[in-house]
Amino acid sequence: MSSAPGTGHIYDGGYRHYDGPRLGPSSAVRSVMKQTVQRVMGLRRPARSKVLPFLSVIMAYLPALVFVGVVALLPKQVNDGFLPDYAEYYGFITMAIVLFVLFAAPEALCPDRRSRVLSLYLAAPLTRGTYLLAKAMAVASVLLLVTLGPPLLLLIGRGLQGVGPDGPVGFLVIFVRIAGSGVVMALFYTAVSMAVSSLTDRRAFAAGGTLLAIIGTSIVAGVLVNAMKLSDAWYLANLNVPPLELVGRIYGVRGGLPEVGTVWVALAVAGWTAGGFAVAFWRYARLRVTR
Amino acid sequence: MARTESAVVVRAEHLTKRWGSTVALHDASFTVERGVTGLVGANGAGKTTLLGMVLGLHRPEGGTIEVLGQDPWTFGPRVRAKVGYAPEHDALPPDMTAHDVVRHLAEVHGLPHRAATERASDVLFEVGLGEERFRQVGTFSTGQRQRVKLAQAIAHDPELVLLDEPTNGLDPVQREEMLHLIRRVGHDLHIDVVLSSHLLEEVERVSDAVVILDGGQVVASGRLAELRGADVGELVVHLDGPGDALVARLQAAGIAAAAEGERVVVGLEGPVVYDVVRDALADLGLGLRRMEPRISSLEDVFLAAGTLSS
Repeated sequence: MSSAPGTGHIYDGGYRHYDGPRLGPSSAVRSVMKQTVQRVMGLRRPARSKVLPFLSVIMAYLPALVFVGVVALLPKQVNDGFLPDYAEYYGFITMAIVLFVLFAAPEALCPDRRSRVLSLYLAAPLTRGTYLLAKAMAVASVLLLVTLGPPLLLLIGRGLQGVGPDGPVGFLVIFVRIAGSGVVMALFYTAVSMAVSSLTDRRAFAAGGTLLAIIGTSIVAGVLVNAMKLSDAWYLANLNVPPLELVGRIYGVRGGLPEVGTVWVALAVAGWTAGGFAVAFWRYARLRVTR
Repeated sequence: MARTESAVVVRAEHLTKRWGSTVALHDASFTVERGVTGLVGANGAGKTTLLGMVLGLHRPEGGTIEVLGQDPWTFGPRVRAKVGYAPEHDALPPDMTAHDVVRHLAEVHGLPHRAATERASDVLFEVGLGEERFRQVGTFSTGQRQRVKLAQAIAHDPELVLLDEPTNGLDPVQREEMLHLIRRVGHDLHIDVVLSSHLLEEVERVSDAVVILDGGQVVASGRLAELRGADVGELVVHLDGPGDALVARLQAAGIAAAAEGERVVVGLEGPVVYDVVRDALADLGLGLRRMEPRISSLEDVFLAAGTLSS
């Protein structure tokens, strides 16, 4: 900004031309992603916007903290076998994850359409596709906070107890399993909740719709298997089942559906995830802006 | 990024767009040159659709459009990085501060974080919201929100800024101030402006050129001066009595003149005419109210094009 002597200007008012670097669309995506993460977490916003995100984070981490604390403080003979394994841990925090899912995607998508700031985003170097990509990355990274962080904390706890992984290879294997499980859960719920949130511009309806989808599919799956005597594989239509089942398989455990092949479980997760994103993209491709 | 040097900012040829069975644009051809251009037409004339096509948001069904030398449909993000846009409707998140909104949108347009932060303050001062910039947008009046929309449109220092009905919902004083700001953006800050409006008079006051749309068709376009014929070459002399004596005197001197009641329209063949008129008035002892070159208003152009339906 400094000028050589004799070449200075007196600027009129506040406006100056900008001749610095201009970053491309990837920077636009990063900026939207960052802004969305802040929005969902209630950062730079009033205290009431922080309640839900921080409540779910506490709910997700508290069990892990308690386990680790107990393990660290009590003698080994008392707490032997006390720690849950990684796949089991998701059972403790399902509520936290669902709570987070219920408000993350609605908060990320709905206000932009309701306040119509979307028309400003689409007038920027973004497209509908890159905009949704930024939103999906934001929602997924926020969900990773509860799907990835707590098991990592548990890893530390098990290490303290001396039942942690053996050697660098063992550590790497367990780390990949934790990361894989966290990503599977985050992407699955990002896709499903973004699909519902793309259908309405009211956050409350989007959250309610997501909850309905989770409960509704469990009823449908129950009817299909129990009343219509279809195979157990139809339980995969229940939105709660495929991600948890796949996480179990990642750790080498067959959960509630022992006779369903892992391929089918993986396909169900991939199908729900792809389908969810497809609905969101389809909706946004048809949205009318600036006409 | 080097600024486009060409005099033509937007060039459209035979542009056509339909929404279902509604024809939004039909065979629209025009050019937008540097400076401030008014896009005039009644509601539903196709103004917003046209702006959307300039932004590369709608694919032309026929014809071509070129913005800053590029096809916006093919090179959307590249074109939009150099364009600012303020929509007609409210488009600001009510729960963010004006500064956060403008900074964020400047970042989305490619400015690094620090530059975006600085420029957000600068442009908010520029539009007169310096003191209010850390207030939430939801607490702003309509006039202030229109200014924030203008600020976010120019924050990334675009080459072209599109303002869709920027005076909507403003009271007369706020309108005045907004028009002043727009003129400043176009003439002092040297950002080319396309301003859409259904109000002729306001376009006339800030624009160098106009594109007049009616029912999706361009009925007139060009420099304002040419359209309304600023140099129709006539002088209108307003007297405080009948002008017949003056007419006779001028015709005797070989100058074309015709009386219209207390007005005399004089052919302005050269600056000497002013002297002749002055001398004639003095000799005849006629009272002069005022004298002005004859300028047809944009409204005349509009009426001539048969579009002033509303």
